[in-house]
Amino acid sequence: MSWLWRGLRPVLESVLAGVIGLGAGALIMWAWGYNPWPAYAALFRESFGSGYGLASALANATPLILTALTFAIGARAGLFIIGAEGMMYMGAMAAVALSFFRLPSGFHAVFALAFAALAGIVWGLVPALLRILRGVHEVISTIMFNWISHFLAFYLVANVLVDPVRAEKTISVARTSRLPLLLRGTDLSLGIVVASAAAFLLYVYLWHTVSGYEIRAAGANPHAARYGGVSPQKTVLLVFLLGGAAAGLAGAVEVMGRPPTYAVYSGLTNIAGFGFDGIGVAMIGRIHPLGIIPAAVFYGGLQAGARLMQMEAGVPFEMVRAVQGVIVLALALPELIRLFRVFVRTLSPKRRPV
Amino acid sequence: MANFLVRAEGITKVYPDGTVALSGVDLEVRPGEVLGLLGENGAGKTTLTKILSGLLPPTSGRLLTPKGPVRFHSPKDALGLGIGMVHQHFALVDTFTALENVALGLPRLSRTLLRKRLEKLVEETGLKVPLDVPVEKLAVGERQRVEILKVLAREVELLILDEPTSVLTPVETAELFKFLRRLKEQGKAVIFITHKLKEALAVTDRIVVLRRGKVAGEVETGKTTAVELAKLMVGTEVELKGRPVELSLEVEAQAASGPRREEPALVVKDLFVRADTGEWAVRNLSFELFPGEILGIAGVEGNGQTELVEAICGLRPIGSGKVFLFGHEVSDLSPTDLYRLGLAHIPEDRWKYGLILSFTVAENAILGMQRERRFQFLGFVRAKAVREHAGRLVREFGIQAAGISAPVKSLSGGNQQKLIAGRELTKDPRVIVAAQPTRGLDIGAAQFIRDLLLRLRDEGRAILLVSADLDEVLALSDRVAFMYEGGFTGIARPAELSPEAVGLLMGGVKGGRG
Amino acid sequence: MSWAYFWSLFSISLHAMVPITITAVGEVIGESAGLFNIGLEGILLLSAFTGTLGARAGGPLLGLLAGLATGLGIGLIFGLICAYWKGSQMIAGVGINLFALGFVAFGLQVLGSPGFYTVPRAVQLPPIRTAVGAFSPLIPLALVLPFLVHFVLNHTRLGLKIKAVGENPEAADVAGVPVELVQLLSTAVGAALAGLAGAYMSVSWLGSVTKEISAGRGFIALATVVFSGLRPLLALAGGLLFGFFESLATWIQSLPGIKEAVPWQFISMIPYIATLLVVAGVIGRARFPKSLGVPYRRE
Repeated sequence: MSWLWRGLRPVLESVLAGVIGLGAGALIMWAWGYNPWPAYAALFRESFGSGYGLASALANATPLILTALTFAIGARAGLFIIGAEGMMYMGAMAAVALSFFRLPSGFHAVFALAFAALAGIVWGLVPALLRILRGVHEVISTIMFNWISHFLAFYLVANVLVDPVRAEKTISVARTSRLPLLLRGTDLSLGIVVASAAAFLLYVYLWHTVSGYEIRAAGANPHAARYGGVSPQKTVLLVFLLGGAAAGLAGAVEVMGRPPTYAVYSGLTNIAGFGFDGIGVAMIGRIHPLGIIPAAVFYGGLQAGARLMQMEAGVPFEMVRAVQGVIVLALALPELIRLFRVFVRTLSPKRRPV
Repeated sequence: MANFLVRAEGITKVYPDGTVALSGVDLEVRPGEVLGLLGENGAGKTTLTKILSGLLPPTSGRLLTPKGPVRFHSPKDALGLGIGMVHQHFALVDTFTALENVALGLPRLSRTLLRKRLEKLVEETGLKVPLDVPVEKLAVGERQRVEILKVLAREVELLILDEPTSVLTPVETAELFKFLRRLKEQGKAVIFITHKLKEALAVTDRIVVLRRGKVAGEVETGKTTAVELAKLMVGTEVELKGRPVELSLEVEAQAASGPRREEPALVVKDLFVRADTGEWAVRNLSFELFPGEILGIAGVEGNGQTELVEAICGLRPIGSGKVFLFGHEVSDLSPTDLYRLGLAHIPEDRWKYGLILSFTVAENAILGMQRERRFQFLGFVRAKAVREHAGRLVREFGIQAAGISAPVKSLSGGNQQKLIAGRELTKDPRVIVAAQPTRGLDIGAAQFIRDLLLRLRDEGRAILLVSADLDEVLALSDRVAFMYEGGFTGIARPAELSPEAVGLLMGGVKGGRG
Repeated sequence: MSWAYFWSLFSISLHAMVPITITAVGEVIGESAGLFNIGLEGILLLSAFTGTLGARAGGPLLGLLAGLATGLGIGLIFGLICAYWKGSQMIAGVGINLFALGFVAFGLQVLGSPGFYTVPRAVQLPPIRTAVGAFSPLIPLALVLPFLVHFVLNHTRLGLKIKAVGENPEAADVAGVPVELVQLLSTAVGAALAGLAGAYMSVSWLGSVTKEISAGRGFIALATVVFSGLRPLLALAGGLLFGFFESLATWIQSLPGIKEAVPWQFISMIPYIATLLVVAGVIGRARFPKSLGVPYRRE
């Protein structure tokens, strides 16, 4: 039965961390004078209690899955790539830019996705090379590129891709390039299929191809991997390539699949944050592509329900990101379950020897 | 009442994994003497002194001082009683100067006072060392002096030195001995751990020999000989016939014991290899390995065996010299290239180079071979082929695992080793380098590996066996070489060696004559 | 360029230098003890916010203190997780950043102005007024602090212990140094300094709090630490360099013709590109504690 425990254990740890996170959220709410119970009730009711809410959860999960994949594949190779945010902006820009061209429906969307993926890859190229050639730690290089991308996107949104009629947004993605909606009246588009397919493909890649095997080996034991013939430089390049593509796709699905405007707003307000949230999602999903999907749905649900929580209980919706932060902190502990058992033991009343 | 500094009574140490390091050891240390602690690898010398210096607690037994029994919770306690240990692998902060390293343990002294005390010590002991140079820039011998000064500055009465001369040149060794004699005159005590017989005879007053965790004998240095010490160290369980043999460094090409071709499988010529510290670990070593034989390399660890193996197997750069595999020069080729030329390596550090602990048995079974046609198709892993391969390994090598999907870290050491051995051997190698292949294994697994090596030899492969387990090396090898300070003190057939000769060769006496 | 303009650029330079230098010097302490805290960005953000709250409640000094305390608290949690419980420093750092993003946005909404809050002039830290302009009192502090930390790290016994723990925790342990405690306190002090820097940003320099007030400065501070090779005086140089780039951006914009030709977004990129270039040029020459980022386990 040990294999069952082995598979179940990370799930339990994530659940436990989730509980801790929600608990911390409740504490904060209570400290600021809000009542946590109706807040959480509204939160969960909205996100998971209604079909509508579930559709919203899935729609939110779409870009999260992809940005989480970026971090996850890096982590599997032993790299700390936190540049999904910047890569995602470039992907969104690329997807919008392609709408300047006329292409038949269907093809247009495919090309847009491909172009966006390429944009993400290009954005990751320099940090990858800096790491290989100069040993620059990817944490620093990818964050700098995030900020460069932030400003570049600002410029593109305001000047190059701007909608001539409504200057506070870019041109809308052409109808031929939009992702079809799966459920009328919701935000849920084909993007979720794209994202899930990407996650599934990445799973197959990592566990069923030789190249994926080598990436995992390099991350798990660089010495043994080198002994087994794995090239560390090729690993870095490959991982940035795949991660960049995923993040680029995230930006694309967000503009191509979000009614009613199908555009990016100035200030990047409608796409900002997915990159960072993706890191948290990746950790909750234990950096496993198949675990990322439910983790993204969970977090997407929290985000979806947060609006109702704000409306009904008055708790500002950003609380969910704070909760996510605590969940990740809890996951930083190496043996969460063991510590939990120790904690429980210290709580239980001591028995008197009879 | 006998005058003693500290006494150990009935010390037993059992590690959590069940290894018995020490069993009922009694030891008495007296002031004004140098006590030698002699023994092979695994005899328990380091463990005993770690207990005496407070780094480890004994499982049972007690420590006594003239004031009564004591219990140490940390090295600080032992230092408080005047017992200090100089570790074999120095506990120094590389970027600090000698002065700063000493200051770390003595925070209450002001810098000026500390400097005065150190300068006085340097004068008294003759351990000259620059005080204001970062330790990493010092030669190894100087670093050792810093380590010794660090302990002496804490005003110890008993100084424990663990293999101090393993990193010293003969001149530095002589200096060290002078210093130890001075300590003795001051009424302090020294425990001198070594495996080198000549040195033990040169500097000690009394010698205690440990073997397999027990005291094998206690002698007065003046009244003993190298031969007697060698006998105590090695014991008489090893059944060897024979007489002392005239040994030389030349390879005995005629000493064949199995089918032999003219051409050697592995040739090492004038090899120099550096250790991590920058010193030469392998010095001007040359030998040949022929197909159908097991050449064993015996010797106490730390004499260059690790570096030799790493250099041959592509894991460490060669300083100078050449390595040939079936006539092709292979110096500094990568492990993958060597594997293609027919070399397999069972690594000494199995967790660093041999296995990926978080991977499954099946995944580890193909490490290094993942790009072969039999295991992949168009970039995809042939899961079935991998499973069959892993299954075959498990069956043929009797690997106990919860299935081929079990993570390798759940396997016992013995089974992990079997997996590595099995994997390496399915590469159909012509030369096998096995480094400490049975270390840490239970008897069954160890026996399995040994039988395996013999079988491979009979199939005509060439095997280089490096092992700190003397019995194993002598039992398995067709020829055995004794490695000491980067070179061989002798190569011979085990049948031609007496226990005394063995002890002498291991202890650094070239030719095996006492 | 008129003198007045020059002094105003100089003022921008110095003001921008402060959060980088203080945060970087704090992280130098923490990394010298072996702990790598990428949560600095989050601490800056969080303490900018709590600093505002403190200032509202009791004036600018209380605001600065609140920021310091915030950093200290987070540093202690981080130290507990990483030094004592041997948790992953990278993951914990990311957790701090995420938490800060959420909490500050949440807090700003609660304060009634989502995304942006101006610190009332009355409770901002009054600047030192000189003949050439107004300077925040924290500027001289930021200039002196690196020297102080340099002295402590390199000329006191405490500094010796800290560096020993980061370089070779086993040697420190054998010498009787309480490894985990030293790590905890070092990282807590470093985080407290980052907290001070964050409060400075809202209470003394920018006079407002936004969701993005930290603007990557936590990571720029990390880059500065890399640049400095854990030498506090070089961290000061790095901070000044960064401050210079910020004022450079402003100056370039003011040049005739530039404002029309080059969009402001590209000017804003300059500090980040510059940081990247500096780090890329310098890596490989610095030397870091051998045990940085590796939790110490007694064998």
